[in-house]
Amino acid sequence: MMRGIWDRETVALLMLAAVFPLALTWLLSSGLEGLVRLGFTLVVAGAWHLIFMLARAQPPSFAGALCALAIAVLAPLELGPIPFALGISFGVVMGELAFGGWGRNIVNPATITIAFLGFGFASAPWPQLPVQLGWSVLPAILIGTLFGVMPWRVVAGTVIALAAGSMLAPLPQQQLIAAGVVLVLLVCDPVTAAATPLGRLAHGALYGGLVVIFALNWSAGQPVQIAISAALLAALSAPLLDDIALRIWQARRPRLG
Amino acid sequence: MRVDALVSEGERVEQGQPVLRSRRHPQMVLVAPVGGDVAALDIGPGRRLSSIVFFHDGKAGRHVHEAARSADDGGTIRAALLAGGLWTMFRSRPFGRIAAPQEMPAAIFVMAADSRPGAPSPAIAINGREEAFARGLAALLQLTNGPVYLCHDKAYAATGATPRDDRLRPALVGPAHPHGLAGFQMALRHPALPNAPVWDVHAEDVAGIGAFLVEGLVPQTRLVSVAGPALREARLVRCQPGADLRGLCYDILKPGPHRLLVGCGQEARWLGPWHRQVTALAGRSEAPRRNWFSKALKGASRPMPIIPTAALDHAFGGILPAAPLARAIAANDAETAVQLGALSLLEEDLALADFVTAASPRLSRMLRAMIDQIAREEAA
Repeated sequence: MMRGIWDRETVALLMLAAVFPLALTWLLSSGLEGLVRLGFTLVVAGAWHLIFMLARAQPPSFAGALCALAIAVLAPLELGPIPFALGISFGVVMGELAFGGWGRNIVNPATITIAFLGFGFASAPWPQLPVQLGWSVLPAILIGTLFGVMPWRVVAGTVIALAAGSMLAPLPQQQLIAAGVVLVLLVCDPVTAAATPLGRLAHGALYGGLVVIFALNWSAGQPVQIAISAALLAALSAPLLDDIALRIWQARRPRLG
Repeated sequence: MRVDALVSEGERVEQGQPVLRSRRHPQMVLVAPVGGDVAALDIGPGRRLSSIVFFHDGKAGRHVHEAARSADDGGTIRAALLAGGLWTMFRSRPFGRIAAPQEMPAAIFVMAADSRPGAPSPAIAINGREEAFARGLAALLQLTNGPVYLCHDKAYAATGATPRDDRLRPALVGPAHPHGLAGFQMALRHPALPNAPVWDVHAEDVAGIGAFLVEGLVPQTRLVSVAGPALREARLVRCQPGADLRGLCYDILKPGPHRLLVGCGQEARWLGPWHRQVTALAGRSEAPRRNWFSKALKGASRPMPIIPTAALDHAFGGILPAAPLARAIAANDAETAVQLGALSLLEEDLALADFVTAASPRLSRMLRAMIDQIAREEAA
């Protein structure tokens, strides 16, 4: 039988291709330390994918590499290998693999990992993202939305909310960079973002709005911490936004007979 | 379908002569698509129709249905279409069955557009038959109290012969697949419900009904496209309903093994009702050999998760909420799927989504299982 290409692994590979500019920029700026960190997250996440393949016959996915990259870029620094491995294991297993793998999870495993590490090790410093990483967000979004693997409505909603927020009070540059990187790596995940047109716009707007609110009112919050918290709350409310969007759609549908 | 034979093997029949009668609805008959002799009549256990084969003979003549020529109101038109074997042209949704003889549709969709890749253009099929088409539309308006939607594309030029009626609603359909499928037009304009069925019928069949009501002759041919990678050339043929697919393809096949598909991807031997497309694919249908490990990997994770991408949104035409509906069908959540418009859809409407997402098992099969279950619950 002839088959189309848009199965799970194609989407995962295209997502990886989309974030490639961002990954390269980050590796160039962070050097050997970043390479070791990325290797560590890849090995731990890959080990769990392997265990679930052998124990539960769950096919591994390239999305695991995407998750490992997001954790390497955004997780708190100076944790030591064992707490870091514990955090990755918690996020990857409880956030993704326990639900049946990528495509069935409800929250991005990287978001869970980073939030878990951030809350669990409150004194660990959050990464400061270099300026060029902020620029690398643009090609990533362009590739992802052109291929249709990243929902463009989420991006549009975020941009609208951030622009509106910047008119109220200008956001610091570090905050905008963090919001952009988190948008590409965590919020634009097609599986856990909202899935209806209106829901996607609302999801993006909620994420952008939360970033603005936290940036203006959370004086002790670090830029990455603020963006991660906003992404986590927005992802948790995505099913609700979808449900509201579907009810609006149903109310406007012709009811006959 | 359980049937009684009205003819026996070896008997001479005219084209359009009734040969089989439905046991459940005795007023509904099937007619001979060609004139000639009955070569083989195979009725399986429980009087289920298996196959009936004719030897074609051009001298056999055509059967004239006198009752059709005088039919002028809803009741007599209905009776004439049932007695002339043209009733099977209507497909009733939800559930995608041949409509029951007494069923009153809430609306009828006439498909003068077909966006399926390689499908024959309905505009070519009814070219030169505008009068018969207008007569057929007038007959459809008498079969329902609701609206008749005439879904057409740009190639279809609205003719002056189209009857003026405020229940006839022309609707221009976009060129992109799947907008030219009846299921999506129904979901958009007039959703089908178990207590308010909606019929769809192809424009060529409407012209056939119009001609039948004027002349009393059952249409002889249907415009069918024969294409595919296992053929040397693609062709558009007018052939009789129920034609042997091998006969349609044999002189243009490339050497080597091939499979013949009909409609939206079913393997078949005969051209069934509603089928207007024949596709020949190269290769065998056998599944590749698998070892125990890949079998375990593939068996444990079915149905495969479907990732909501722009491709999936396009496969539902932007008309229905793609990802929630695909998830509801894959999870066999009938209640949600019905709320999201699944009752207007059939297998052919999800063929594109199956293709682009390489869904395994196929969404169309899961949808068929779901609507069969809903039909059983409705009947109980």
